[in-house]
Amino acid sequence: MTTEVKDPGKYEVSKGFRTTYWVFMFLGILTFIVALIKNPERGWVAFLVPFFFFTSIALGGLFFTAIQHVTKAGWSVNVRRFCEAQTSFLPFAFLAALLILFFGGNYLYEWFHPHEVARDHLLAHKAPYLNKTFFAIRLVLFFGVWWIFQKVIVGWSLAQDESGDESITQKLVGVSVGFVLFFALSYSFFSVDSLMSLEPHWFSTIFGVYCFAGLFQSTIATMILTIYFLKKKHLLSGFVNENHYHDLGKFLFAFTVFWAYIAFSQFMLIWYANLPEETFWYIPRVQGGWTAVSLSLLFFKFIVPFLALLPRWAKRTPTYLAAVSIWILVMQYVDIYWMAYPAFFREAPVFSFYELFIFLGFFGLFLFSISRFLSRNNLVPIKDPRIEESLHHHVVY
Amino acid sequence: MADIFDRINNRLRGKVKRGIAGIWQDEHQLVAAAKKVRGEGFRKFEAISPFPLHGIDEAMGIPRSFIPYVTFTFGLMGCLFGLWFTWWTSAVDWPLVIGGKPFWSLPAFIPIIFELTILFSALSSVGTLLYVCGLPKVDPPVIDKDLTSHKFALFIPEDDVGFDADKIEKLFKECGAEEVKRSEF
Repeated sequence: MTTEVKDPGKYEVSKGFRTTYWVFMFLGILTFIVALIKNPERGWVAFLVPFFFFTSIALGGLFFTAIQHVTKAGWSVNVRRFCEAQTSFLPFAFLAALLILFFGGNYLYEWFHPHEVARDHLLAHKAPYLNKTFFAIRLVLFFGVWWIFQKVIVGWSLAQDESGDESITQKLVGVSVGFVLFFALSYSFFSVDSLMSLEPHWFSTIFGVYCFAGLFQSTIATMILTIYFLKKKHLLSGFVNENHYHDLGKFLFAFTVFWAYIAFSQFMLIWYANLPEETFWYIPRVQGGWTAVSLSLLFFKFIVPFLALLPRWAKRTPTYLAAVSIWILVMQYVDIYWMAYPAFFREAPVFSFYELFIFLGFFGLFLFSISRFLSRNNLVPIKDPRIEESLHHHVVY
Repeated sequence: MADIFDRINNRLRGKVKRGIAGIWQDEHQLVAAAKKVRGEGFRKFEAISPFPLHGIDEAMGIPRSFIPYVTFTFGLMGCLFGLWFTWWTSAVDWPLVIGGKPFWSLPAFIPIIFELTILFSALSSVGTLLYVCGLPKVDPPVIDKDLTSHKFALFIPEDDVGFDADKIEKLFKECGAEEVKRSEF
């Protein structure tokens, strides 16, 4: 039984949409320059949070694509192009990473300064790992290898759209296995380097997994929103239906629980052992103005989305699911903000137009890269050998 | 002794209904037939298949199961029970100082509360499922021994509304049944 694959439609970036992202980018750059002049430390940490946020989404897109190939998944073929689209942000993320390496690091990371390291026994002890050269090597290596994998995994998938060569699907399994292995290590190191080392005396071995949980959640949420946006433009009809939403919704739900599990695992072990070298990271976060932010993570990043996504209809109602996705993305920002900001603002959280507009700048850049990718390529991998399975995808439970 | 076994056996056999069964070789035909049988007004009929069939629930008009609500309710009860129980044991009935922590230290009890939530919801779901399906069934009547490997059947019991043996036989044949027989299920 084969169904003729229709044309999924062509996405064209509307003029209003173009204006929106250019305005966002302009506002972001302007605010960033103002911040650098007035308060560079604040400017750089306001830069770091959305940098990590969008890099995670871009990388999460590649990871999600890779696990679809590794598991030889059929259901996800029609939605795979959207996680592939997210990876198009990686080169921009690399540029932002270079900015942090060359200009921002001095403001963000204590261990960038040799005299600080010389004064501090612990930092000197950690210096073989936490030093500027090795940091630069890791950064370039990670982004380089991620970029190569992106070129291969996404590039071959796009090439298959033209040729319909089924051997590509076979070959992608091995490549994806390689990426998944590399990703597991590199993303863990990347999160340690960029976020955990803001407070270099602190350590948590589960930190990479914690960041990964947020990465997966925000990746799925972004995919749902992309699909929702395109469906609103009357594209993808006959390709993506509520069954695909349902499965993505299940992923969103599962990783909401996973995030809570990991977050609690990290917290409880540190709370129980009660060692000063570990607890000092949590202490400012449960005092003063930060208490509310910490509690908001418990309630709004776990309990509310958990209950909101629990019923079956919740995952099959696109508008509702999209609203929950936006909610989760907001909380993902709060989560990264909560990891980064207390290193600099110990008394109370600060949030103003700096944070908002620099985030918007990154958001504009992200919209630019993802919409450019989607307008240039097919919205669905139309010649994937497993597309049949996705066209007839049916979720029973 | 044998008498006791017989009694247990009879108990576990559950209610056996008499009726008419149609047997198909092709699952798509079965789904189509189920839709038609429902269209004729039958409500108590059963479909028997060696594997889950896509679209059979819709074809037979089976509503969503209520078991998820049971799971949620019992999960919530397990959660509340865990909350109360950890509080009662460690802060009320037998307070002990452990690791210099307060008697009632919520973070330490979350794993217990979590496990009890899972335990209550899992056991209640399985228990409800067994009860609702009338399981375990010992020695149920066999309509056709191939129904566990490659054949599919619809069974209409005699107590269904508008039961008419000749009409049903004709209906099954029209839908492509390879065999129609009087049977028990």
